[in-house]
Parts: sequence; C-alpha cells; structure tokens
Amino acid sequence: MPRIPIVMPQLGESIAEATIVAYNIVAGDEVECDQDVLEVETQKAVMGVTSPCSGRVVEWIAQIQSSYAVGETLGFVECSEEEARRLGLDGVPPEPSPMRESLPHGFSPADAAAAPFLQSPPPQKPGGGVAPTLRGLPVPAHASGASFLSPRLKARMAELGLHAADLAGIAGSGAAGRLTIEDFEKFLSQLDQQQLSQASSMRVAVADAMRRSWTRPIATVGMPLVIDPLLAHRKNSTPKPGPALYGLRALAIALGENSALAGRLIGDKIVHPRSIDVGFAVEAEDGVLVPVLRNADRTPLNALVLRYNELVDLARRRRLPADATGGSIATVTNFGSFGLEWATPIPLPEQTLVLGMGAGRVVPRWDAASASFLPATEAHFTLSFDHRVLDGGGAGRLLVRIAELLATPEGL
Amino acid sequence: MLLARVAEEKIASLFRGGRITGGVFLGKGQEAISVATGIALKEGDIFAPLIRDQAGRLAFGESLLDFTLTYLGARSGPMRGRDGNVHRGRPRDGLLPMISHLGAMVSVVNGMLLAHRFQGKTGTVGAASLGDGATSTGAFHESLNQAAVEKLPLVLVVTNNQYAYSTPNDRQFACADLVDKAIGYGVNGHSVDGTDLAACLQVIGDAVRTAREGNGPQLVVASNLRLAGHGEHDDSHYISSHFKKLPLGRDCIEVAQSHLLRNGWADAPSLEVWARECAVQVDEAVAFALREPAPDPALEEWCALSHRHLAEGNPGKP
Amino acid sequence: MITYLEAIREAQRKALENDPRVYLYGQDIGLFGGAFKATKSLAQSFPGRVIDSPICEDAMMGSAIGAALQGMRPVIEMQFADFSTVGFNQIVNQAATMFWRTGESCPITVRLPSGGTPGSGPFHSQNLEALYAHYPGLIILTPATVEDAYSMLLEAIALDDPVIFCEHKYLYYHLKAESLPETALPVGKARIARTGRDATVVTYSAMLHEALAAAEELATQGWEIEIIDLRSIKPLDTDTVLASVARTGRILAVGEAWPWGGVTAEVLARVATDGFNLLDAPPMRLNSKDTPVPFHPNLWGTHRPTASTIANALRDLLRL
Repeated sequence: MPRIPIVMPQLGESIAEATIVAYNIVAGDEVECDQDVLEVETQKAVMGVTSPCSGRVVEWIAQIQSSYAVGETLGFVECSEEEARRLGLDGVPPEPSPMRESLPHGFSPADAAAAPFLQSPPPQKPGGGVAPTLRGLPVPAHASGASFLSPRLKARMAELGLHAADLAGIAGSGAAGRLTIEDFEKFLSQLDQQQLSQASSMRVAVADAMRRSWTRPIATVGMPLVIDPLLAHRKNSTPKPGPALYGLRALAIALGENSALAGRLIGDKIVHPRSIDVGFAVEAEDGVLVPVLRNADRTPLNALVLRYNELVDLARRRRLPADATGGSIATVTNFGSFGLEWATPIPLPEQTLVLGMGAGRVVPRWDAASASFLPATEAHFTLSFDHRVLDGGGAGRLLVRIAELLATPEGL
Repeated sequence: MLLARVAEEKIASLFRGGRITGGVFLGKGQEAISVATGIALKEGDIFAPLIRDQAGRLAFGESLLDFTLTYLGARSGPMRGRDGNVHRGRPRDGLLPMISHLGAMVSVVNGMLLAHRFQGKTGTVGAASLGDGATSTGAFHESLNQAAVEKLPLVLVVTNNQYAYSTPNDRQFACADLVDKAIGYGVNGHSVDGTDLAACLQVIGDAVRTAREGNGPQLVVASNLRLAGHGEHDDSHYISSHFKKLPLGRDCIEVAQSHLLRNGWADAPSLEVWARECAVQVDEAVAFALREPAPDPALEEWCALSHRHLAEGNPGKP
Repeated sequence: MITYLEAIREAQRKALENDPRVYLYGQDIGLFGGAFKATKSLAQSFPGRVIDSPICEDAMMGSAIGAALQGMRPVIEMQFADFSTVGFNQIVNQAATMFWRTGESCPITVRLPSGGTPGSGPFHSQNLEALYAHYPGLIILTPATVEDAYSMLLEAIALDDPVIFCEHKYLYYHLKAESLPETALPVGKARIARTGRDATVVTYSAMLHEALAAAEELATQGWEIEIIDLRSIKPLDTDTVLASVARTGRILAVGEAWPWGGVTAEVLARVATDGFNLLDAPPMRLNSKDTPVPFHPNLWGTHRPTASTIANALRDLLRL
C-alpha cells in the first residue's frame, strides 16, 4: 500500500520552520483526507497540519516540541491504491485531459505537455576549454602572450612606460594563453634580478620609431649592381661625394619621375609627397639620425656634396638644426659602410621606402664581348617598402630604374 | 482678499511682461473662501493651501515677500529658486509647500495633527484646500478616510469652481453634490456660497471651531466660478457663459464691497484708499524681489540630503 | 539564537524605548503584530505608539511626512515592498524633495519587506531598491545579515533623511545569529564578506548568501572569490568596490532585482567609468529574469540568481 508522507507546510511566506505542538492522531489510527492530524506553531500562529489522504497514520517521525523545516516529512499515512490514484499521489504522470483545453489563452497545451511542469535546474556549463565567443563578448581565443592586453595590464604598462613589444618574451598563463597581470609582475620582478642599464634617449627614440614602423607589412627586394662607373666618377670628383649621395640622387631622380611610389596609404587614399626631400642615415652615438636634402631631384650631385658633408658632420655631433631633419619622403642607408653586403632596413614610420646600399666587392663577371670573365666591383642594392603601397613588381621596377641611373653617374 | 487680488494681478501683469519664469496661477473669484480659511486658523494651526489660495496665505500670515520672492525666483525667497510660484511654504510655521499631485497634501496635514496629538498639543486645527478635481483622486479618499479613522481636527475645504483645468463637473464626479461625500466618510459636511464672504466666514469659522473642539474632520464645499484661466497661459475659453450669469459666477470681491457699502461699514472713497494702499504694498514687495539676486548655480549646494556626508554627488564625473 | 526578523523587531523596540519621537504605523502592526510579526508585542509594550493604519499606503506616507515635519520619527511598515508603489508618490515627490525644497529634514523610515520567497508570486516578491534609489533625497538600505538588520534599522531611524529600509523576507527566519551587535559599520560603508584575489562579486541582501555559497563551491576548484556586501545601495560605497576590483581585476555584480537600469547596472557603470584600468575582463552582472516574479517554486528558483548560476557566471568571468 502506498505510504504518503505528511510534510511540514509553508505556513507563511517567510516562514522557514515550525515547531510541533501536539498530535491529534496517534500512530495506528484511521484518518480522513484533509483532517487535522497535528498542530504546529510558528511565530505567527498555531495551525493544524492536515492529512493528504484518507487512510491510517502508520508512523510519526516528528517529535513534540521539535522544529522542522518547511517540506520536511513529519510522518506517513498509508492509503489504498485507489485513494492514492484519486488524489494524484501515485506518482504517475498526468494523462491528457479536457482540463488542458481550458487553460487560459497564451498557454499552449502543446508546450505545457512538452515541458514538464517540474523542471530540473538548468545544466551547468562544463568547465575548461574556451568557447570562441561568450555572450557576445570576444574571447581572446588566440591571445597567447602579449597579443591581447586587458585594460588593467595596459594601464600598468602605461604607468611603467612599457609597450607590447617589451613583453614579447613572456608566455602568458591566462585564458587562451593570454598574458595576465601576474605573468607581467613576475616578469618585472625577474628583470630586477638581472643587470639593468639605462637606455639612451636616442635609443628610446629609435625604438619608438621602429616599433611604429613595424605595425606595417614591410617587404624588401634587392639586386647586385656593378659600381665601377660610380667609383670611377667619385675618384675623379672634387670634392668626393659620399657613396650614399649617389644612391640618394638616383632615388630622388626616380621618385621625381613618379612620386606616387613614395606615397603613403591612409585609409583608401594615397598621400602624394609635396616635394622630393630625401633623407640619409647617419650613425651617431647610440642611434641613427636622418638629415634631409630638400628637392634632391632638382639639384645636381656636385651641387649637393658640400651640404651633404655639412649635414653628416652636424649629425655626428648631434647638432642638426630642426629644419635639417623631418619631412623626408624616403631614406638612403649605406649599410655597406659596416662591411655588410645585404640587409633589410626598415623604413621610417612616416615613409614608405628605404634604399639600402651594400659593400662592394670584386667578382668575376662574364664579358660577352671578350667571351671571358672580367673582374668587376659589385654591390647589392636593396629597397624595403610598405607592401600596402607597393608590390614586388613596382618596387623592383623602381630599383631597376635606380640601377640605370647609377650606371651613368655623370648624369647625376 | 483685496491685497491678494491686487498682488496676483500684479504678478499676472509681470507674467505678461515676461518677468516671470514658469507659471502663474490666480485665485480670482476664490478669495472669499480662501481668506475665510486663513482667518479662521490661528498660530500653531496647519494650513496646506493649493494654487488659488493667495488670500488665505496672507490671512494665515505668509509674508507678501515670500509671494514675490518666489514668483520672481529670488535666491533669498523661502524656496531659493529650487521651487517656484505656488509651491512655496514654511513648514515650521505650519504653512505647507504644495506638491503638484492633487490631494497629496491632505495626509501630510493629518500627520502633523497626529504629531500634535503625540506631543500633547491640543486645540490645533489643520486645514487643507482642494478643488473639485482633487476629489477624484485616491489621495483624497485615503487621507479623508484616514483623518476620519483617527478623528483628526482636519478641515478639508473643497472649492468647487466648476472646472478642473478644462474638465467640467459632469466629467469629474457623478454625485449630486460633493458635500454628500462627507456621509460616506463619516465626517461633517458643510456647504457654502463661495462668492459670499460673510457666508464663508460663518461656515468656515463654524467648521474650524467644530474641528478644534474635537469633533473630527469637517468637509466644507464652497461653490463659485473660476474667474481666470487655470493659469495665466490659459484663456479659459471653455468656461460656459451660462455660469457667468448665475449667482455663483459673481466676483466675490464685488459682492463683499457691496456688502460693506450696504451695511454702511465702508464708503466708496475708503474702498479706493484701501485699493491704493494695497497697490503700494504690492509694488514695494515686487520691487524688493526684483532687486534680489537670482540663484547662482555655482553657489548652489546640489545636495538633496540633510546629511551631506551621505550625498552621492555625481559619480563618474571628474 | 536571534533571527533576522527578531533583530528588526528588537531594533524597533530599542528605538521606541530610547526615543519618544518614534512611533510605528502600518497595516495590522498593532495587537496582531504585523503580517510577518515584525512588531509582535510592541503595541502592548508601547501603548498608543504602534498604530494600525487603514489600507492606504499613500496616506500612510503622507501622514508620516507631516509627523516628521512636526518633529516625530515615524517608522512605516509597508506590508509588502510591492504595496509601497501605492504610496510611491508621497515617498518620491514629497518626502524625497522636502529637504531640497524647504530645508526641513524629513526623518522617516519606510520598512519594505522585500524579495522573493517560494510561492509568493508577482505581487509579494518585488525588490524596489533601484526604483527608490533613482530618486534624489532618499537613503536606501539593504541589510543582508542579522547584525545589519538590527544596527542599520536603528541608524535609519536616527537619520534625519528619509530612509527606505529594504528587509528581505526570505532572511526573516532563515538567518540567525548568536547575539545582536553593540557596534556596526555606518551607513554608506560596504563590507568585505569574504576575501579573495581572483574575482570580485558585488551584491547585497539575500543574494549575499547565494554568492557566498557560490564562492565556497569555486574555492574547491582553487578560485578565491572576494565578496562585497554593499549594505547600503544609496549611498553606494564605490571606493570599496573599486579597491576590490583593483585587487582582483574582475567583477560580477549580482542582484535579485530586475536587470534593467538597476543596482548592478549602476555598480558596473561606476567600475567601467572610474575603474576601467583596473579590469582584466569585461564587467559582468547577474540579475533575475526580466519577467514578473513567478509563483511556482520551480520557476521562482530559476527566475532569480542562485548559488549555482552565480558560480556559472563566475566561471565564465574567470575564463575571459
């Protein structure tokens, strides 16, 4: 026979528990459905607890003068199967009934049938793993290291004057491998254990320029060039132009023919240079300075030499006047002066192009006329460029044009 | 009541002269019932006036300067520019500053009378003014019932001036007479011709005395016609000319003046002198207020709590 | 042991004992002792000072304002917070503006039995703190502990400004303490209910206990959650919240009230405005669903935040 629990009722909206005052029925006695079977007391009142069905009280669990929480079982009534079924106490799910049809408008009977009235709590999300998006917020799914920085981390870096590039060496331990504030502080404390020296202001300035420039896709093309005519021209000139001045003048002439090649891409616009002002790199102490020769496309080589030499000297002494730097549209760097044959220089952040010149060396070169190898001095010229503005073809054609101009230095 | 009429006409004139910010609400035609209320109240009593109670305010003891300083938005007025026109009061003197929600002041009067009871102050009375429109509100019902349950010495003066803004009585209530409502609340009801000063003094005086003697709330219903717009922005074109021909369409000041002349209590020259004296007083008060500085946002405390340390300021503002 | 409800009763008893200006006014609060028994036996102990009102929330509040202006300290019991909307006009337009308009303080305490309990349904479960906090001139208190229920109600009655005292019905009997406190944090100060370093939960009232349970669950997985009990909604202790976010970098604001423009929104707005640089993750919040409060316990249990949904939200937050 079904045993139906007698439970502590909710005797008020805020009531959590109640105390048993008395039994009206002793275990073993018969009861009617809805009959008061015991009395309980709350702060508000004394009230009777009723039997859920007709039958026999078979057991009291609750003790007089003890308190029980709402919903706790106080005892059991045993009743007939028929009685349990009549009162819906038999645990069988309800069958379709005409009462459903009378549900108020807005409740779909189908929905009511499909969704059990007593719903289980919503399933918990499994732990671990990172979903690509979460409630519409971007999750740093590919955030390893310093590629995603939280506002908090950014603020801490700003406080210390650090940049994302400074953190390139740290592997993040946060979600999706992102850098956490703990990683960052640990990194800082480890730095303290090593020898630290102050970077010069020149070094810091170059670092800033290079970091900004490196936000763009930079590519480099290069080609060897026979520079014997250039060397011969230089030997016979007084005063002698610096080697970089040849490259600078050739670059200036080529850009004078098509200045768009040195344009900058801003949004969907190409910004054309106003004038062909070309800079050249001069090593000075712990960095590089870039003096400028203005309108270099319109001034012959020999007329540039004195100004060029003067600017080199001022730059090395770090005495360049304000109007002698800045505003250049491209730069020439003679890395050959360090004995290097090849390099991929990075253009200044406000420029699209940098022309590099390698060291010359004597190589055997096939001479078709004499059908033999003849010695020739060859140097590699490179052109690094913002690939957003130029493609390999455009950069290559510009470099070939420069080579043509350098092949006849007397025309410079 | 003459001073009230003169003062309000002056403010109306200033309004039409562009010197007044906000609304102007006149009690024209309502001075008799209002002044009778103010006269019947004594020091220590409570008065919750409504928008047409300039006469009652003056009779209750409000300074004419409070009137001009508030209408002209002076920093030195009782509301300091934080509230204007008819929304002024001095609760410490028993004069409550009305909020715009009709019927809402009645229970506040109840509370003050309840406090008097707690504090052992006996013999005080609280009067609240309402119009016909306010009798439709829940606040009217709740507060009159509350006063009746607590047997408070409340005198509720309902002036039925036939229109609530533009809404006529037949769209406002369906009972034959508003005074019949008194029965439902178990309070005394009194009716009076609101255009007749002598009758108003008599009936309001009786009602206040009855309340003062501990006989519970008194509901007085005065009938008249609003002789102005709802505010000075309103031309009141909707007021039926039918009313203007009826006795309730009379101007209570004219009625009072004839009464004085008829009884030989004043002659025509003295009436003129009174009017001139009123005009002088009003002009002085207006001139004073016009010279007073306006509120300065930089000097304003911007704090809605009496405990300043608990005020929040403007979070997020640098 | 003393319950949250008894603490409220004892605070009223103490206020009545110590201050002759105090009286209680509300429906069924006299000999009957109140719908929740918050004033049980007080009418007998203080004859004439615990007064049954007619069913008139507007006039209850209006009369409290008048009495306060005359130097009394009324304590109004709304039978349910939900019913206070009938007196809303008097609270927000009259009581809240009184000091600003007239310079006269309006010392009223309005007790709002707030929050959901199983089976209470749409009109006996509401949380209206944000609604009142929106209005300048009111102080809004939301005690979450027996100690605060006692000390904050006493402070509310002592304050010269109108106070909306949101007491939580679910806590009435569920929450017990050994004894009543002698001292307390003042109004306007939040309390750190649990310290942690991984994320901050800012909450108040009954949700404090759900949040504490969630923190306990996450502690078994190695997370240390800091929990702030706001105690007062207005003024809101932004400093304590920001200081905690500065330690943890993450914030979840939890409220039982509805989400739109509520307390959690205000907390996050302040953190985003004043503490953006403290954040390691977008600020997050959790509220009840944007529907009326359902009657059936199953629906109700899903409608409001619970320890389990708070723990889930925290796990999301910690992943971000």
